[in-house]
Formats: sequence, C-alpha cells, structure tokens
Amino acid sequence: MDVRAPGSWSVVAVAVAVGGLVGVGNPLLRASTRPWRLGEFDPAGLQMQEGVAVPKVDAPSTQYAFGTMAEGAEETHKFVISNAGDAPLKITRGATSCSCTVSDFEAVEGGETDGEKLLPPGGRAELRLKWRGKTGGAFRQQATVFTNDPRRPEIVFVVEGFVVPVWKAEPKSIVLTSIPSQGGVKASSRIFTYGKEPPTVKEVSTPDSETSQFVSFTTAPLSAEEIAGERGATGGVLVDVEILAGVPIGPLRKTILIDLLLPEIVRAEVTIEGTVAGDLALAGQGWDSSRQVLQLGTISGRTGTNTQVFITAKGAHRDAVHPVVRDVVPASMQVAVGEGKPVGSGAVMRFPLTITIPAGSAPCNHLGSSQAPAGRIVLDTGHPDSPTMTIPVSVAVGP
Amino acid sequence: MSSLVRPLFRRPLLSLARMAAWAGRRGAATILAVLVGGSVLPDWAPSARADEAPAGPSRGAGVSDETAATFQKRNGAVFQGWPKPKAVLVFTGELDGYIEPCGCTGKENQKGGLSRRRNFLGALAAAEWPVVALDLGDQVNRFGRQTEIKFGSIVDGLKAMQYAAVGFGPKDLRLPAEEVVAAVSAVGDTPTPFVCANVGLIGFDSGITPLHRVVEAGGLKIGITAVLGDAELAEIRNDLIATKPAAEALVEPAAALARAGCDHQVLLAFATPEETKKLAARYPQFDFVVTAGGAEEPPAQPEKLPPHRAAGNPPVDRHLLELGHKGMFAVVIGLFDDAAQPIRSQRVPLDARWGEAEGMIRLLAGYQAQLETLGLTGLGLTPSRHPTGRRFAGSATCAECHKSSFEVWTNSGHANALTTLETQTPRRDGDPECLSCHVVGWAPQKFQPYEGGFMGVKATPHLAQQGCENCHGPAAAHASAERGQVRVPAADRERLRAELHLALDTPQAKQRVMNNCLECHDLDNSPQFDFDTYWPQVEHGEEPGAAAAAAAALE
Repeated sequence: MDVRAPGSWSVVAVAVAVGGLVGVGNPLLRASTRPWRLGEFDPAGLQMQEGVAVPKVDAPSTQYAFGTMAEGAEETHKFVISNAGDAPLKITRGATSCSCTVSDFEAVEGGETDGEKLLPPGGRAELRLKWRGKTGGAFRQQATVFTNDPRRPEIVFVVEGFVVPVWKAEPKSIVLTSIPSQGGVKASSRIFTYGKEPPTVKEVSTPDSETSQFVSFTTAPLSAEEIAGERGATGGVLVDVEILAGVPIGPLRKTILIDLLLPEIVRAEVTIEGTVAGDLALAGQGWDSSRQVLQLGTISGRTGTNTQVFITAKGAHRDAVHPVVRDVVPASMQVAVGEGKPVGSGAVMRFPLTITIPAGSAPCNHLGSSQAPAGRIVLDTGHPDSPTMTIPVSVAVGP
Repeated sequence: MSSLVRPLFRRPLLSLARMAAWAGRRGAATILAVLVGGSVLPDWAPSARADEAPAGPSRGAGVSDETAATFQKRNGAVFQGWPKPKAVLVFTGELDGYIEPCGCTGKENQKGGLSRRRNFLGALAAAEWPVVALDLGDQVNRFGRQTEIKFGSIVDGLKAMQYAAVGFGPKDLRLPAEEVVAAVSAVGDTPTPFVCANVGLIGFDSGITPLHRVVEAGGLKIGITAVLGDAELAEIRNDLIATKPAAEALVEPAAALARAGCDHQVLLAFATPEETKKLAARYPQFDFVVTAGGAEEPPAQPEKLPPHRAAGNPPVDRHLLELGHKGMFAVVIGLFDDAAQPIRSQRVPLDARWGEAEGMIRLLAGYQAQLETLGLTGLGLTPSRHPTGRRFAGSATCAECHKSSFEVWTNSGHANALTTLETQTPRRDGDPECLSCHVVGWAPQKFQPYEGGFMGVKATPHLAQQGCENCHGPAAAHASAERGQVRVPAADRERLRAELHLALDTPQAKQRVMNNCLECHDLDNSPQFDFDTYWPQVEHGEEPGAAAAAAAALE
C-alpha cells in the first residue's frame, strides 16, 4: 500500500481536533463519574437520549389553599405524585417549613411507607400535608420532595390559608408612645369574635386596683360595618380607654380583662403600654436616654465638629417655651437655638439646637467620670413648671 | 466543517494508518499541537461549564461542605443557573424583633438572624455581585426599654451591612421618637439609610430622613422610596412624628425619581397587599413594589403586576414582592443584561449555610451587655399580679413533699433552663425575652415578671430554672399551710392542694394543660412540640398519700 504522509496543514488541523476532543472529553468523563450536586443542575442544558428509559415525575398540583380555618383546627391535603416515565422514579421526602406536618409517602399501589419510595412506571404515591392552626393570621407552609427525574429534581408542595382565632383584639396592645402627665389621651381597641353567636360582655375588670386610678374604660358593641371589615369575624366589642390625670411619669403597662359570653365564657385581654413623659424632651443623634447624656465623644480640636439636636415641648405650656442658652461647659462649645416650629398637628413644638465645637478649640476632657465631669448645656426654657433644662454632654476635645 | 480537516475524515481508517507512520517523524510537533488544541478549544460539556464558571453564592465564608449540603437539601439550593448579574436587589423586612433565631431547639433548626444575613450579603459581595440591600421596616414588634435598645442595635447592624435604604414599619414608630431619632440619624458624613415619603421624624423638614434616594450599582441607577399604609399610620400615636397619607405623599418622590432617569424604581410599601396594589396601580413607574402583611413565608416567586405601558416605550414588567416575617428569608432580584431574561428572583432561606458573622456576634454581645447593665428594673419591668393573686415558693419547697416528682423534674431539661442561658455566648440570662420561659414566675408571652417572681439569681435564687409552679401555679400559700406556718381549716388546705393539681383525664383538662405548655413551647421556640410526645419525658406524680404523709411530717 502506498502510504503518503499528509500535508503540514492537515497535520496541524488533526492535532488541534484531537486536542479539542481531549479537552471536551475530560470534563465529560468527570461529569459522568461524579454524582450530581444540588446547585449545579441545569435542566435546560440536559439532552435526553432517545431509547434510554428515564423516570418522569408527574405532580399535577403543587399548591392548595385551605381557605379559612378555625384556631386549633386541623386540615390535611393530599398531593399526588406519579411516574409517567419508563424507568423507576425515586422520591425522597425533603425539608418541611417550620411546624408543617408531612406524612410519609403512602403506599397507594404497593410498596413501603417511609420517607423514601421507588415508584415503578405508572406508579403513584400520595403526600399528605397537615396544618394545625395554632395562631391567627395568614399562613403558608411547604414541603420539598426530591426525585431522580433529571428534568424535575425537586418539587415544592405548598399549602396556605388563613386561621381565624376565637377572639382577636386589634390592636392587642394599645401603645401610647408619649403620654403627658396631665392625661387626657384616648384610644380604643376592637375585639373581634368569630363564633356562631355575637359576644356579650359579662364583666370588665383589671388585675389590680391601681389600673382604674389611671385608666378609665368603657365597652360597646362594634358596628356591623366594622365587623364586616374583619375577615371571618361574626361579632365584636369596642373597648375605649382614657388615660387619667395624675398618671406617674415613667413606663406604663396596664391590662384590661374582658369576659365574653360566646356563649361559653372566654377572657379577652387588652394591654395598654406607653411612657408618661414630661413636657420637655431632647431628641437627636448622640442622645443616650439610658444615661440621660448627649454623647458627642472625642472631637479633634484641629477639625472641630457640628451637630444638631432638637428640644421638643408639648402640653398646655408648649407655646410659652422659648429656650435661651444660659451656660455651656466646655466654654469652647457654641450652642445656638433655632426658631420653634410645630410638628404635625401642632401638639408639639420643636426647637433645633445647633452645637458646634469650633476648629482650633483647646483640648479638654468632659467625658463624664470622677476625674473628668461631663460638660453641660443649661437652658432657660420659659416653661412655668420646668424653667431650667440641663443637658449633660459627654465630650472631649483632643489636639 | 473546515476544508482543512475534511479530507482526513473521507477515509478515516486510512488516515489512522497514515498518521501512525507519520507520527514517528513529527512526534514532538504533534504532541505540542494536541496540547494547544486541547487548551484553546472551548470547554463544551455542560457540567464542565459549571466547574469552570464562577459559582453563584451558595454558602457563607468558612461554612463547611457538609453544612452547606445539609441546608441546601433541607431548604433548597439557591441561585441555580444564575449567570453573574449586573446587580442584585436584596430585600429584607419585618424582622419583628428576631435579631437572632431562638436557640431553644437548636439554632440550626431556625432561619433568620442578622448574623447570617450579614454573611449572606458578604457571600454576594465575595462573588462580586453588586448589591443594593433594602429593608421594608418593622425591626421590632414590642414596646419598652428592651425594644428601644434592640431597635438601636438592629439599626447599627443595618448600617454596618451598608443598607442602601430602610423603610419604617408601624412598630418601629411606636417607640419614643427620641429613641428612633437617636438610632436612625446620620452619623457625621454618613447619611442615614432610612427613607420615608410619608413620615417625618420631628416634622418633615427636620432633615432627619429623606423622602427618596437614588443609588448606583453595577452601572444601574436604582430609585427607592418608602411609605406606610394608611392603616399602619393609624397605629402610630406619637406627637413627635408627622405623617401623610401614602398616596398623597408619593407625589413628590415619584416625580423626583422619574426625573432622575432611574433604570429601576422600588417602592417599599409597609401596607397590606390590597393597599400596596392600589399604590402600585396609581404609581406604575415602580417596577418592584414590596408589600407587608403577607404570610410568614414569602412565595417562591414574586407576583406579577400589570406591566407599565408608557407611551412610546415597550411595556415594563412589574413585580409585587412579599418578604415573609421574622427575617427568615431574603428575596433577591437579579438584574441581567439579557433581553430574554432580564430579571430573575430567588427566595433565600437565611439558614445555617450562611454561617455567623463575627461583627454581628459582637453587636449581639453588646446588646446583651446593655440589657445586663440596666437590669430588670432598669428595663422598666414592673411585676404584675398573677391571675390567681398568689405568690411563688420555689421548686425546692415543692421537693419537701413531692420527692418523686422533683426527681423527675431534676432529670429534665426544665431543671437546667436558666443554666442554658448562663452558658451561652453571649450570655442570655439578662434578656427578659429569654428569661420569661427559663425561670419561675413570669408571664411567658408578655416577657414580664409576676409579683414575687424571679428577679435575678441574687435576689431570688429559689426561682431559677423552669420550675414546678409555672405549670401548677404559685404554691406559697399551699406550702405555708402544709408546713403549719399558717393555720388553715382542713377544707382550705384541700382547696389549696386542689388548685395546684393538674389533671389529664378529660379532653378539656388536657387542653388546659397543653395551652399552658404552649405558652413557652410555641411556634417560635419549640416548633416541633407535640404534647403526647413530650409529656412522657416529664411525666410525674406521687404515690397516693405520699405527699400528704410527707407534709404531715413537716408540721
């Protein structure tokens, strides 16, 4: 046989082609000998070979809405998984979301009941998702099932719905952020019920005798319109509260107990929380209310600093308040009081306080210790009950 | 096929024979060419592409293969098939005070927490994905000094995570405005991350928070504003906070964002889904609209809103995003330079695959240290009267007569409840939200002591741990009667005994007992709790007459 060597260009081309095949082959070999890992699977890139038997998962429904459920009630839904392929389908129960109960696979057409199941072609299994409505409100829970169907390695089954409680207070806790010591603040809570019969108020009480000194309360049936506005509600009671004068300054937490006939007796509860505050307050970056000190920290004397906080005034005497700086420590600190402006509805007046440590200020230490007492800003306020306001300032000026 | 290689494949067998002969003469050159060919040709195999392409973020720094695989399997893999995006919008919200997941049943079994969130954002940054982090609001869910401190700590955490924008939730704004202002204000030249169109802290013109913000990431300009819904505004009773109806307040920032030429516009609406959809319909320029008030877990994919059809422009897809509650998930929107798939979304469970971030652990330790420093009194915890009006005796007192039951208790987890808080890092035994289920004499769901309940190990050592009286009720009167410290008629003594007796013999009685268990074994702290499974672990009782005989010996 006459054997002739190929031309040079052909040699190069063949070598490049062989090298290319090696380049492709290596990773293909790696891919075929390594198990699939989650996070790498790319169904779009997968080409099924004709004539090779493969499992095919069929789950026509993956989401179910229970609708409205009573608190404490339990609902179950069965999801069906079947194998529409021509090779055995392996299904494995994966994670469930918090507190959703998931059954093992049920043996509908033979096979064992456990967390893993092999479905023959045409086989079928069921997965039950059970939810007990422990607390009111919307819920959505899910369960994951892993399969060996390369086109659908993971299926997420979802149940959702809305749990209605025996009763619900809206709000459950009446929060009155800033209560003047003169009282007069009013608020209300609506108690909704969901049973067959509308509620009757049997008794309204407080856990202690002190509550009624500072809080007055009344109850009345909710209007049909208000009841209709609450999903699933069939009745309701309006609880009106008013904070009375003389309530002591500081945190306030009181509870009102409402015994309802539904027709069985059910005790509903509404909490009133808040802080009774004085008429004058300070707000702004650096104000530490735990320590009652304005934290400016250590300032470079070379650059100085500038910050703004606000004095707020409320109550009957708010219009009489006109802060004027009387004393400042350290002396290098400059404090300017801006024009007063009403906030929101006008129940509060605010006064900006611009605090400047000018560049070139002399070093000093007023961080607030026995050796270095805190600095201060003293203001004449104009408020008849609190004519002077002293703001402790923690500040040091470095070189 | 190229004309250069075609001739070789016309007669392949012949070609192989020719090449064998030829290779002996030009072997070195052939090997070199093969190597070159192997290296320059593209790597076509799909799995090889996964190996070589930069992987999407799948775990936090330092997390082991085993942990990552476990939680991928448990809660699903993330960012599968995602190429590198131009930028990602990371949405979080409704943390509801869950600064960290409860560790009662193993922290690894719970999702959420700022520490994991920090590491998750770190993983995105490590993959060089430009991140815009956005939070809907409601960092807290309670009221009082502890909540104020927690709010400040969470805001410090959000600032450290470089959030581009954070909205307010109604529970944030129930806190004293002084506290909110101190926490959210700009620090030096660093602007506040908080944005809100319809809430003005100490007035709209105080300059504390802007109405909107525009940020740039990956070459994209993202416009953001936030509002509270009208029902949420009604919850705020704070004279230092000015508010406006959401629809009216959005006019100004929407116009500003429209002028800014943003590639995408985000509306963080702390409102019901119904109100949010109305706002989205009125302001169609927002292509990502976040709502509050959905279910505890967000849906796997965001809901599509009707596309925005502006005259002369192609329709723009719009989405409504739910984020779930308690900060268990982040929802990520990937923005791609791909006409076929310009947007992808991923619900990311913030589980143990993301690991813990040292900086956030320090922040949590600082938070716990503040609680410890203030103490229960400094936190404003005023004991309330127990519903029965009775006082507590302590488990050791119960042991004087109920020896068998005490032995069962001693060997249960209840007997070490406080110890577990003392031995954690950082310690949690100064945290009322933990203490309430780990000591005797507190209202578990109110995080508040009853009169005569635990007020610290020094003051009330006999009330440490989760003791007998949390289920049976305060027993001081019963103990005094049995000891003979108080002389009571026999009928009253029997009544006091009966009041503390728990029965499981009727469905109603069993339900009452279970309800008491659920005060602590709730969904957050004991999601797998099932009375029939747990009860055998603590089942106890005395032989008939044993306790009475022991009581008689005390007198």
